[in-house]
Amino acid sequence: MRIPFLGTLAAGLVASTFALGVQAAEPIKIVALYNLTGGMSSLDQPSLNGAKLQAKMINDAGGLLGGRMIEVVPIDTKTDQKETATAAKRAVGMEDVTAGIGYSDTTFVLAAAPLFQDAGIPFVTSGATSPLLPEMVGDMLFLVPFGDNIQAYAMAEYVYNTMGIHDVVVWTDNGMDYTTGLSKYFQERFEKLGGNIVLNDVFLTGDRDFSAQVARLQANQDKAGAVFVAAGPDEAGIIVKQIREAGIDMPILGGDGFDTPLVGSVPGEDLANDVYFTTHAYADLESEAIKTFQQGYKEAYGTDPENAFAALGYDAVGLLADAIKRAGSTDHEKLRDALASTDGYEGVTGTISYENGSRVPLKTVAVMKVENGDFSLVTTMTPSAE
Amino acid sequence: MIPLAGSLRLPLLAALGALFVWLLESLLDPYALSVAMFVGINIILAVSLNITNGFTGLFSLGHPGFMAVGGYVTALLTMLPARKGLMLPDLPSWLAGLHWGFLPALLAGGLCAVLVAVVVGFPVLRLRGHYLAVATLGFIIIVQTLLINLVGLTRGARGLNGLSPLTGPWWVYGWVVVTIYTCWTIKHASLGRAMLAIRENEMAAHCLGVNVTRVRLLAFVLGAFFAGIAGGLWAHLVTLVTPTSFSIVMSFMLVAMVVIGGSGSITGAVIAAAALPLASEAVRPIEEGLGLYGLSQVLVALGVLLILIYRPQGLFGTSEPRFLESRPAALAHPREKPDTLTEKGGIR
Repeated sequence: MRIPFLGTLAAGLVASTFALGVQAAEPIKIVALYNLTGGMSSLDQPSLNGAKLQAKMINDAGGLLGGRMIEVVPIDTKTDQKETATAAKRAVGMEDVTAGIGYSDTTFVLAAAPLFQDAGIPFVTSGATSPLLPEMVGDMLFLVPFGDNIQAYAMAEYVYNTMGIHDVVVWTDNGMDYTTGLSKYFQERFEKLGGNIVLNDVFLTGDRDFSAQVARLQANQDKAGAVFVAAGPDEAGIIVKQIREAGIDMPILGGDGFDTPLVGSVPGEDLANDVYFTTHAYADLESEAIKTFQQGYKEAYGTDPENAFAALGYDAVGLLADAIKRAGSTDHEKLRDALASTDGYEGVTGTISYENGSRVPLKTVAVMKVENGDFSLVTTMTPSAE
Repeated sequence: MIPLAGSLRLPLLAALGALFVWLLESLLDPYALSVAMFVGINIILAVSLNITNGFTGLFSLGHPGFMAVGGYVTALLTMLPARKGLMLPDLPSWLAGLHWGFLPALLAGGLCAVLVAVVVGFPVLRLRGHYLAVATLGFIIIVQTLLINLVGLTRGARGLNGLSPLTGPWWVYGWVVVTIYTCWTIKHASLGRAMLAIRENEMAAHCLGVNVTRVRLLAFVLGAFFAGIAGGLWAHLVTLVTPTSFSIVMSFMLVAMVVIGGSGSITGAVIAAAALPLASEAVRPIEEGLGLYGLSQVLVALGVLLILIYRPQGLFGTSEPRFLESRPAALAHPREKPDTLTEKGGIR
């Protein structure tokens, strides 16, 4: 996987330096802050791959603003908040930075984005999903994905209306902002629909033994039709494994934290069954754009996109390129205004529009199913935000 | 208690230090400056952990727990009341109205860490060796769980974000000086000798009239104070504290610094605390150029392993380098002598 990737990277570098020499146009620099090592890397590495792919495709097609190439500058922040703060200082201090992209988790955006805000540089997060982020950071911050409220509402509606399950157990990882928010929004909508939360159970990020929760789930097996697990990528696979090993076969539901190959590989194909989760829609249409993305990814990295975060990274750079085109410049203020007026940008994760001054897009949610370790799309839906 | 030559050396060192910070501030870009500040915070942490782990031989992993206490207390005290009203509406009114300067807030953070250390110390310090290590690990988890669940005070898992960036190089290196001075003085005073005696043979120390419980608790509490201060500095440098900011991984890094530098050597702790982050930053360009992310962690880990295999006593053992020490280095412990000799005899 590494070697073809390095090969294309080198080829891309050679090609872009050549093009630079000919046209003498300054590159458009986009800093990409990602946790390429540590706990978040299974989401962040694909995101960066996607971002680089989009940049390469735009460059191959002649670049932006009359031949200027996009240069993605990645910085690894090691799933460490201290590294994030340092990297953000380094990023805003670099010469001619047009914008920043990055991260699949709110905490890291909160450690980095305020520095971009203070420096007046737009920051687009490819995967952090807290709907409160723009409010907490400021007018330079934009989200590519939908907010957690939207995906949680979608799952609640899918469970209640489509699956016809009216009683669920909820597990919440109390150690993450993402999971506590997701769980809160799910319960809010599920109860509003008339559903009943049989039991509320909690665990913490980093837990490896869920036998206590599994035992309580077992005790409530007759009363509940499914279990909603608000977990991050590191715990999701282990939880599925331990629930199934205990012989509990009710559907397991989750959010986009489940969108990692670990959910299939950790339990193994015998146990990774009847798992439903919501994620960023990218497999919903057989459209040209999506095919181009999937083929391009396979050619560049020798593997299919690992999860939706690859597509989100791809869309983050696409969204910025679209705004730069409309702004006609890389000026930060103009770029910010162009981003804010994005209306109907067709990304591979759905259409992005920032309506009524919101910087969180309303997008379609994909409901995925895991059966025998394989992921497949069940349906897409757009729940109402209210 | 400090020898005369030592006290004369201090003003000189202070002047050199001031020049160093001034150079840092005027020459470095914000990125390099923030690396330099994290190095300073690491030094405070490693040197203060050395009092507990190095001098007294209490194997504590609890430093991040005290940092978290210091970080949150400082953050709550320096936050503007208007912002508190928005972010933490459930704060008790006496706390919501407070708005302190950075120095008193830092000191309050350090003192709260001390209070916690006293409460935790009484039961925990009855344990020895591995049991103590496990108990202090448990302490980190207790602190994390409390931070997550005391939502009204801490905003739970979301943490406190948007703190004012108050920490500057003068703050960090000022505290570095205070920390090193305190530890140096203690090490060369009777208290330090009592600590080293406890480390070497607790029973013998007790028989010679050392109040073991008191000295052990004092070492633990002193370490906690500086960890609390470092936590406050950290929070206002990153401008964010969350329950996961101060993790178990961090305590292993700190223990690694103490072990590499040599348990009980202040110079060693300073050098190791500076070298680890600088080495990992130095590898960064290679890592980014080749796309081999994770290389820096691997190299640092490899370095730690090699030092532990080929030089298990650490860079300096318990001693300090000759030019800093005003008396023969043999004072610390006679067993050190052969080590110093092999050191001279040639480096492998």
